[in-house]
Amino acid sequence: MRAVIVALAGVTLVSQRVLGMPGMPAWFGYLILPMIWIVAASLARKERHWPYEALLLGLAWDLLFGPVVGPGGIAWTAACLSLYGLASVVADRSPKAWAAFGAVGAVVVILVQRLAVMPLGLASVFTINQLALSALFTGLWCGFIGAVLALDLGKHWRAYHVRKLR
Amino acid sequence: MSRPYVLRTILVWILLELLAALQVPATGGSPILFSWLRTLVEPVAIVAEGTVDLAIDFGLGAHGLQRAMVENREMRIDLETLRARQMLLQADLEALREIGDFAGPNAEFDAGALVGRCTYRDLLAGSMEVRTAGSFILAHDTPVVSANGLVGRVLRSEGRRHWLQLVTHTAAAVAVETEDSLVHGLALGTGSNALTVAYVPRQAELERGALLVTSGSDGIYPPDIPVARVTRIRESNEPFLEVTAISTADLHAIRMVLILPKWAPTASGGLP
Repeated sequence: MRAVIVALAGVTLVSQRVLGMPGMPAWFGYLILPMIWIVAASLARKERHWPYEALLLGLAWDLLFGPVVGPGGIAWTAACLSLYGLASVVADRSPKAWAAFGAVGAVVVILVQRLAVMPLGLASVFTINQLALSALFTGLWCGFIGAVLALDLGKHWRAYHVRKLR
Repeated sequence: MSRPYVLRTILVWILLELLAALQVPATGGSPILFSWLRTLVEPVAIVAEGTVDLAIDFGLGAHGLQRAMVENREMRIDLETLRARQMLLQADLEALREIGDFAGPNAEFDAGALVGRCTYRDLLAGSMEVRTAGSFILAHDTPVVSANGLVGRVLRSEGRRHWLQLVTHTAAAVAVETEDSLVHGLALGTGSNALTVAYVPRQAELERGALLVTSGSDGIYPPDIPVARVTRIRESNEPFLEVTAISTADLHAIRMVLILPKWAPTASGGLP
């Protein structure tokens, strides 16, 4: 199961890379696909430990998209810890919660990453609109995934299969 | 979140930031991490350098203070020495004035008289050492006087140093008389400041407080020099009175004396 998750995380990272390829719509750049993994970790897990997975995800993010390796690890662990804290006070686990968590995670990742690269002299200019759009698209992405999980397609598929066999 | 949890998070974040800083080159080409380290170390180095300078300055200041204290102490000692010398000089000056006052009216004393300074005296032994400004060979038995009275006679002379026999010496004897020359006697030393006046006839009219002066009949001392003042008179079965007198010369405090070489007795025993 863990290997599957790692493989899927790799797929999201590669997909994120694909979204930034020339020719793709510009708004794809606002979407943060791997955010789904830390939202899922904060909403679906019963026991929480220090988010080494988020650290690895952030370092991988840096390797693929960042100028230097390190700030991504800080940003993604900060986002994961924030979502852990948020999940401990929010009982809702509906797709809306997934969307909200995704938006919050996106905001935290972007802000913390900018703060982390600021001492290095690498901070780029960004606007509130960019931040809001990124939070919106990432929230929608996470809400979509939450909705798919809520639908429990596997259960419906098994039921369909049973009816067909009759 | 527990404290180890927070500490671990902060530690990981710091390590990641340092890792990132190691990858970013600064203006000089070296990683920006090194400039951060320099920024951290430089104030410490400046503070350390300032502390070392402060310690050196403090040490130099302490050394200077110690030297100043030593010099101050030496100057105080010098000042005390100068004060003591000044006091001695004042005492000498006063003694010289007294000698001058004493010798002035007595022209015979003033002529050829030598001023000597007492450098050592032993009142129990009845001796005194005086020094003169120049080298003189004084004759034996040369009389020595002070402003207050007779001191003694010269026993030995060697250059600037002269040894005296005081009138209080147990072997000293001075022919004395009262100021009116009616009573004669012989003042004998006793080893203390008191003199015994011998050979005073019982019928002599002598009172306590009477001043005894040299009569000159002993052939050593010139006449009319104060010798002692009578303090006690007692009659006994003897044919003479028992008379005790105190030397008028302040022998325990005397500093300057007047030596009278011209009054030294000649070899024939008479006065010059």
